[in-house]
Amino acid sequence: MSKVIFSSWAGKTVDNRGLGVEQHAYARDLGLPSGYDHTKVAAFMGWDGFVVWDEKINVVDMAHAYIKEVQKISCGECMVGYIGIGVIADTLAKILGGKGGEEDIDLLQWLANGVKENARCTFGQTAPIPIIDSIKYYRDEYLKLIKKNRKTVPKSSYKVMVTAPCMEACPAHLDIPGYIELIRNHRYGESLSLIRDGVCLPGVIGRVCTAPCEEACRRAQYDGHVCIRLLKRCVADWEMNSGLTPSFAKPRKSKEKIAIIGAGPAGLACSYNLALKGYRVTIFEELPIAGGMAAVGIPQYRLPTKILDRDIELIEKTGVEIRLNTKIGKDLEMGDLWKGGYKAIFIAIGAHKGRKMGAEGEDKDYEGFVDGMKFLQDVNLGRVIEPKNRILIVGGGDVAVDCARSCLRLGFRDVNIVYRRSRVEMPARKAEIEEAEKEGVKISYLAAPTKILAKDGKVIGAECIKMALGEPDSSGRRRPIPIKGSEFVMEADMIIPAIGQQPDLSFLPVRDQIKLAKQLTIETDITTCQTSGEGIFAGGDCVTGPAVLIDALASGNKAAQSIDQYIRKGKVTQGEDTKLESAVKGINISAQREQEIIPREMPQITSQLPLKKRIGNFREVENGFNTEAALEEAKRCLRCYRVMVWATAE
Amino acid sequence: MVELTIDNQRVKVKEGTTILEAADKLNISIPTLCHHENLTPLGSCRLCTVEVIVDGTSKLTTACTFPVEQGIKVRTTSRKALEARRLAAELLLAKCPTSVKVRNLAKEIGVDKPRIKVREEDCILCDLCVRTCREIVGRQAIKFINRGLNQSVEPHVDLSPDMCIGCGSCAYVCPTGAIKMEDKGDTRVIHGPKWEIEFKLKKCKVCGNYWAPEEQLEYITKSLDLPPGFFDVCPNCR
Repeated sequence: MSKVIFSSWAGKTVDNRGLGVEQHAYARDLGLPSGYDHTKVAAFMGWDGFVVWDEKINVVDMAHAYIKEVQKISCGECMVGYIGIGVIADTLAKILGGKGGEEDIDLLQWLANGVKENARCTFGQTAPIPIIDSIKYYRDEYLKLIKKNRKTVPKSSYKVMVTAPCMEACPAHLDIPGYIELIRNHRYGESLSLIRDGVCLPGVIGRVCTAPCEEACRRAQYDGHVCIRLLKRCVADWEMNSGLTPSFAKPRKSKEKIAIIGAGPAGLACSYNLALKGYRVTIFEELPIAGGMAAVGIPQYRLPTKILDRDIELIEKTGVEIRLNTKIGKDLEMGDLWKGGYKAIFIAIGAHKGRKMGAEGEDKDYEGFVDGMKFLQDVNLGRVIEPKNRILIVGGGDVAVDCARSCLRLGFRDVNIVYRRSRVEMPARKAEIEEAEKEGVKISYLAAPTKILAKDGKVIGAECIKMALGEPDSSGRRRPIPIKGSEFVMEADMIIPAIGQQPDLSFLPVRDQIKLAKQLTIETDITTCQTSGEGIFAGGDCVTGPAVLIDALASGNKAAQSIDQYIRKGKVTQGEDTKLESAVKGINISAQREQEIIPREMPQITSQLPLKKRIGNFREVENGFNTEAALEEAKRCLRCYRVMVWATAE
Repeated sequence: MVELTIDNQRVKVKEGTTILEAADKLNISIPTLCHHENLTPLGSCRLCTVEVIVDGTSKLTTACTFPVEQGIKVRTTSRKALEARRLAAELLLAKCPTSVKVRNLAKEIGVDKPRIKVREEDCILCDLCVRTCREIVGRQAIKFINRGLNQSVEPHVDLSPDMCIGCGSCAYVCPTGAIKMEDKGDTRVIHGPKWEIEFKLKKCKVCGNYWAPEEQLEYITKSLDLPPGFFDVCPNCR
């Protein structure tokens, strides 16, 4: 942590003004942003105070720059916040313009305190804090301006960032308080269009997102997080059920053609953003349907086909062409794309190839031994699957749980999951595991198959070994260790390994043209999605390994930005968004010194399809909010917007 | 039931009751502007600010929105609460000095003249019209649009331009006169801060008076499943 001149961040004052550098006290453990270069940043102001590194900076000028940004976020739903912040901004401008009096300092203090004490939302209660600090610690600067001792105020240029704990947690950085505010004001169409700015599959993501935003929601510490995912789903469903279609801005068409390999979430997100910028985008998809993992990896009881189809149809409306049944490496070669006039290629083929368990006999093509991804694909493509009596699914991730719950729906009687670690380490979503158990899935922990048992080429069971948990491994989870001599047999007439997936990169023409990471995934610059191949970008699961949908969407968005830069400028520089993103690394967006009292208002609840209605069909299990429930839920948002400005050094 | 203390008086009320309602039970009066007993509370005007003490932590909140909790202490006339109310009243008075209702309320709270620059606007964004239209009339003709400096109440036109039925409930509930309604001959005009909508009034077949907007009567006929022609005659002649 660099030495500061002054800091009031988090209510802890460090004041080194007037001291020699050697006497400077360090500003430690303040949770200050550490991601940017302090030699280039002169000062920083945000919701929990301000920091000065360069004493040439004028704090009043910074306060004014800050409050102007705050004013843009002020919603007008409470008068103290709305009018108060406005008057603070006017008064700061007056003082900076040399027209202020000493009474204006008192006025500022009175207003800033009043807004902090009595604004309705968290944003309003925290936003005036640095203004109060600036008057408390830099009153002299105000007085100099008032007494005109300072003729010219050194104007700095400021960078601005607006975020919130939920927005920060969201890989796509959706403006979550923004779209919730629009729902609160019954402006569902605008809410959805704000969502589409960051997520082109709102209906899909409103159903299957892992919702890291909800974990970050500050309301969770009081009476439960805001149900952000279901709010998103509600507006997406509202549009669909009202028979509305969004209108997309028609950009001037550019001549450049872009090729995207894979019509999964990453490919779709990239295509959507590029099409909105006017590019002619073609997606090449190997499968007979678009959607990638969302289409063939997520069962319909979690994501009905019509929802995905609608989201994709709307993407096609922007001008994106999707060529199905076209496998690059078989029907067309990568080289054909360049010859066909495509100026850039985005590889987003996902990770669909099942990993090996390392059990004896898994390569012998026994009847009844089916990879988890292949199984889900068959289910989703409507291929006939003969239900068996007793099935054993190996693994603890979402794919394993999805396979198990699908089996029950297909009429399999005895559905078992075997997982080598314990419940705590199971990577599948907790709610999914609970639902699976309610539906009748049995889970055995701390065991793994060592040998597939077969008779006449048909699976009859697996020899398994019991495990004990050792020290945590690189994933942070405790490593399973086989217990010698603990082998036992689990009978089954079908076994589905679902222990993880990897991308199938066999189509890449010249392996050494595109660098791979550990021979498994495509290596890219994470800030730009560029591969080592000229004009070739990659994103989604084929870069990260199996991840969640929102990660894939976020990387598709980022790739689109990079490809646009590449086409326009011939090279990719780090995007402004990425720079801002890394600037706030290290700052604790959730923390604030201002205490709140939040009256208890429990989250709205949704109903689930009754257990007995789930067997023999793939009807959607979770019901969404109706607009009334959504309105109530939207009111629970605390609006924890955080506005930050920083002055850049000359 | 939940027991709480308001100004040192104990009171037992049903769960879900707001501080404002609980105070009313004790005949403790708290000023309000954006509150209406038939509408969902919003907490916009901040005039009903009180001090609540929950587990030893004191904080200001609006009495109209805060549901009571077991054992909380409420102070409706603490210095902190009264100062916050004065600030809210000054801001409102500066925004809307011509409104009699705002002036009277401010006076009640102890503010005669705001110390900040007067803006002379009409709409104070209290949301009463928006809530009335939605919750009482059952329409959504008016909505909040924009943020920050551009916030204002305007007719909602992006979904269906004919959401407004011309009933005038918004004008009736508006505390500052920002929304006004006028009937002239066969026409009703409703105008807000930056907008104006005209409605054709229906003529009574008996007395010949123009008595209500056609859209409103159609809406009522449809909602109540009345026979066609039910409103051909005005209530006075029926």
